Amino acid sequence: MTEYIVKDKLTFLRALASSGYNLIAPISMKNKIQMAPTDPDKVDLDYLNTFLSPKSLFFPQTEKMMAFHKDLTKSDAFVYKPLGLDQVKPSVIFGLRPCDAKGLSVIDKIFQNNRFTDPYWNTKYEPSVKIGLACLNPGPNCFCTAVGGSPFGEIGLDAITLVRGNGFGLKTLSAKGEEFLKNTSGLEIGDLTGEIADLKKKVEASLPLPLDLSKVQGATILSIFNQPHWKTTADRCLNCGTCTFVCPTCHCFDIQDEQDEEGGVRIRNWDTCMSWLYTVHGTGHNPRPTKTERMRQRFMHKIKYIPMKQDGTCGCIGCGRCVQLCPVNIDIREVAKQMNQG
Amino acid sequence: MMSLEEISQKIQASAKRLLTEGKVEVVIGYRRGSIPMMAAPHFARTEDDCNQLIWTSFARTNLAGYLSKFSGKVAIVAKGCDARSVVGQVVENQILRENLYIIGVGCLGMVDTELIQAKEPRLYREVTEDITTIKLFGADWNTNIVKEEVLRRNCKTCLSRTPKETADELIGDEVQPLPNDNWADLKALATKSPQDKLVYFKNLIQGCLRCYACRQACPLCYCPVCFVDETQPQWLGKSNDEMDTLTFHILRAFHCSGRCTSCGSCEAACPMDIKLREFNRILEEEVQKEWNYVPGLSWEQKPPLTTYRPDDEADFIK
Amino acid sequence: MSEFEPKIVAFFCNWCTYGAADLAGVSRLDYPPNFRVVRLPCTGRLNPKYVLEAFKRGADGVWISGCHPGDCHYIAGNYHARRKFTLLYHMIEAIGLDPGRLHFSWISSAEATKFQEVACDVVEKVRVSGPNQSFRKAKLDLGLAEVA
Repeated sequence: MTEYIVKDKLTFLRALASSGYNLIAPISMKNKIQMAPTDPDKVDLDYLNTFLSPKSLFFPQTEKMMAFHKDLTKSDAFVYKPLGLDQVKPSVIFGLRPCDAKGLSVIDKIFQNNRFTDPYWNTKYEPSVKIGLACLNPGPNCFCTAVGGSPFGEIGLDAITLVRGNGFGLKTLSAKGEEFLKNTSGLEIGDLTGEIADLKKKVEASLPLPLDLSKVQGATILSIFNQPHWKTTADRCLNCGTCTFVCPTCHCFDIQDEQDEEGGVRIRNWDTCMSWLYTVHGTGHNPRPTKTERMRQRFMHKIKYIPMKQDGTCGCIGCGRCVQLCPVNIDIREVAKQMNQG
Repeated sequence: MMSLEEISQKIQASAKRLLTEGKVEVVIGYRRGSIPMMAAPHFARTEDDCNQLIWTSFARTNLAGYLSKFSGKVAIVAKGCDARSVVGQVVENQILRENLYIIGVGCLGMVDTELIQAKEPRLYREVTEDITTIKLFGADWNTNIVKEEVLRRNCKTCLSRTPKETADELIGDEVQPLPNDNWADLKALATKSPQDKLVYFKNLIQGCLRCYACRQACPLCYCPVCFVDETQPQWLGKSNDEMDTLTFHILRAFHCSGRCTSCGSCEAACPMDIKLREFNRILEEEVQKEWNYVPGLSWEQKPPLTTYRPDDEADFIK
Repeated sequence: MSEFEPKIVAFFCNWCTYGAADLAGVSRLDYPPNFRVVRLPCTGRLNPKYVLEAFKRGADGVWISGCHPGDCHYIAGNYHARRKFTLLYHMIEAIGLDPGRLHFSWISSAEATKFQEVACDVVEKVRVSGPNQSFRKAKLDLGLAEVA
C-alpha cells in the first residue's frame, strides 16, 4: 500500500470535495463535533472524537424504507415502493477515528453477511471511501487498546492519515482507497513506515492495557448469563438507553408505519434493548421483564455474542462514549472485568 | 465551612450507625465514579460499602427514583432537591414514610460539566475538588475553577438547598439560597410573539434522539406504561418528527407539573444536552402563581392536581 | 380562493354541553358547522394529550366545554378539570400556540343560546387565527417522485 505526504490540509480537503464524492467530515454543530456533509473550509480537525458515533451516516436515527400513495386514479395506489435504494452520489468520509471505523465494520458484518444483506445500509456504506485520522492525543476515557483496537487501527478504513505539521501523513489501506487517492492532487509519495511505527508505540503506551476476557471467551453463555453481579450492577441502571444510542456498534431498530391523507411510509428508527417496549410480545409477555435482563442483554451482546459470531472481535470498540455519558456511571470496562471473574 | 471530606465521613458514620442498629437495610448514596467528574449511585449494605460513600459536586442524578425499588427500610443521602422528590414519592404513596430515613445534606450546588469544559476545553487527565473549587490536571498544566461559576442552572436558583424541614438528620452547614431570579428568562420569553416562542422551543429540542433518558432518570416518571410506549392507540410517532418530539416534551412536562422539584436529573441524563427543564419551568411557575404550591416541602399538603377549591379562578373559561 | 373554513375539534361533556348542542338543534338556533364533536363522560376525562393530538393532526382549533362549576354529574370532575385546563392553557400559550385556537366554556344543557353564542365566537376567533400551519405534523414526505 502506498504512503503519501500531504503538504497542506485545506488543499487536500478541497481536492477530496471536488473528487465527485460528497465530502463528509467533522464540523462543529451546536457546540458539538459531528460528522456531516460539509464545505472543506468548515472542517474542524481539533477534536477528540465526534460527539455521536458516525453510524448515523449509514444508519440514521430515522430512515424511510418505503412509501405508498393513496391516489386511486393510479394503478399503484397503496403499493409500497422502496425508497433510497437508487445509486446515490457516494461519500468520502474524512476524519473517522480508528475506533469508530472498526465499529462500523462490526455493524457491517451484521447488516451484510453471507446470509443477509440490508440494502439500506449497503447502498450507503459500500461505495463510500473512509479515510481515518489517527489519534495522537487520546482522551481520558478512551480505551481502544483494552478491547483489541489501536489509535492507529486500520480495520474498516480505506486510508489512514495522521496530522503532520500543516499537513498529513497518509497511508492507503485498501484497493478502493488506493484507486480513489491515486488521482487526488497535492499528494507526494513518501515513506512513513518508521514514523507511524514510532508514534503508534508511543500513543499506545499512554492507553490502557488489554482487558483480560479469556474466561468470557471460554465460558458457556449460560454460565455468564447466570452470574450474580448482573443484579448489583443493574440496581443503579436507569435503563435510559443513552449507552445504546451513542454506541458505534449498537444497531437495533424498530419499524413503524405512518400515514396521512395522501399516503404512508414505513420508517425505521433507532431502538434500544434497554426499553421495556423493545421485547414486549403481543400477548403482553415480556421475556426481559426487568431492567436487570435488559442491561445484561447489552453487555452480553457486546462482550459475548458479537465476539462469538465475529471470530473474537469485541463488540465494544473502546470509544468511551457510553462511559462518559452514562448518568449513573455504569462502566463497560468494570462490567467486562466482572464477567471475566464470574 | 465543612470540607467535602468531613461531610463524606459524617455520611459514612451515619450509614454505619443506621446499618448496625438495624434501622435500615440499605443506604443509598454516591460513591466515586470510574472516570473524572462522575459520581455513581451506591447502595451500601455492609461496612465496606459504607466506606465508599462520598459527597461530591458531581452527584447529578436524583437518588429518589431508586426508593420504590426497595421493599424494606431504606436510608437515602439527599440534597435539597432530592429530599423534595422523596417527599413527593411519599405524598404520592409510592413509598412509606416509616420505611424511610433521610440523611439530608446542605448542598452548595452541583456543577455542570459542560460549563467546565467550555471554560477549560483542554483534555484533562484528572480532576479533584474541594468545597469551593474544581482542579483540573492535564498532561502539563492545571487549572482551578470556582464552583459557583459553573453551577447547573437549577442549582443557581434553588430555594431549598438544605432539606432541614424534612430530613431525619442534617449533615453539613445550612446553605442559604443564591440571590438569583428563577423566572427572569421566562418573563422575557412571555413577551415574544407566538411564532417566536414556537421557534425557540423547536430549536431547543433539535437533536432529540427520543431515547427517553430524561424520563428514565426522572424520579417522578414511574408510570407502569408511559404514554410514549402506548401502542393502542399510539399517541406519538417514533421518528424524529419535530411535532412528535415537541408533543413528547410538552406532555412530559405536563405530567411533572406540580411535582417537579428542579433536581435537573433529566438534563443530566440527556445525551444531547437539551435544556429540557425549560418546559417544566413554565408549569412550575404557573403552579406556584395559581395555587401557591411548591412541591416537596410538606408531608401534608396535597399536590395541586389531586385537589381543588370551588373558587379557583379561571378567567379564560367562557 | 374561497374563505377559510376552520376545522375545530370539540370535546363536550355528555351531561351538559352535548345536551345544549342538541337543544340548540331542536330549537332551530343557527350555529356554524365547523365542529367535530367528541363526547366525553365529563370534562375531567379530558387528557391533555387529546388536545395536542388534535392540533398535531391538523385541527385549526379545539373547544372544550363542560358543566358549570358545582353542577358536575360526578360531584367534582369539572373542578379537577379546571385546574388541568389552567395548566394546559398556560402551557400551550407559553409554547407558542396562538391562544385564539384553544377555547374553554361552561355550558349547561339548558343553555342553548349560550351554546350558539360561544360556538359562533369560537369559530370567529379560530377563523382570525387562520389555518394551523405551525403546530401540526407536517405532511408526510413520501419521496415517491424519484421512484418512477
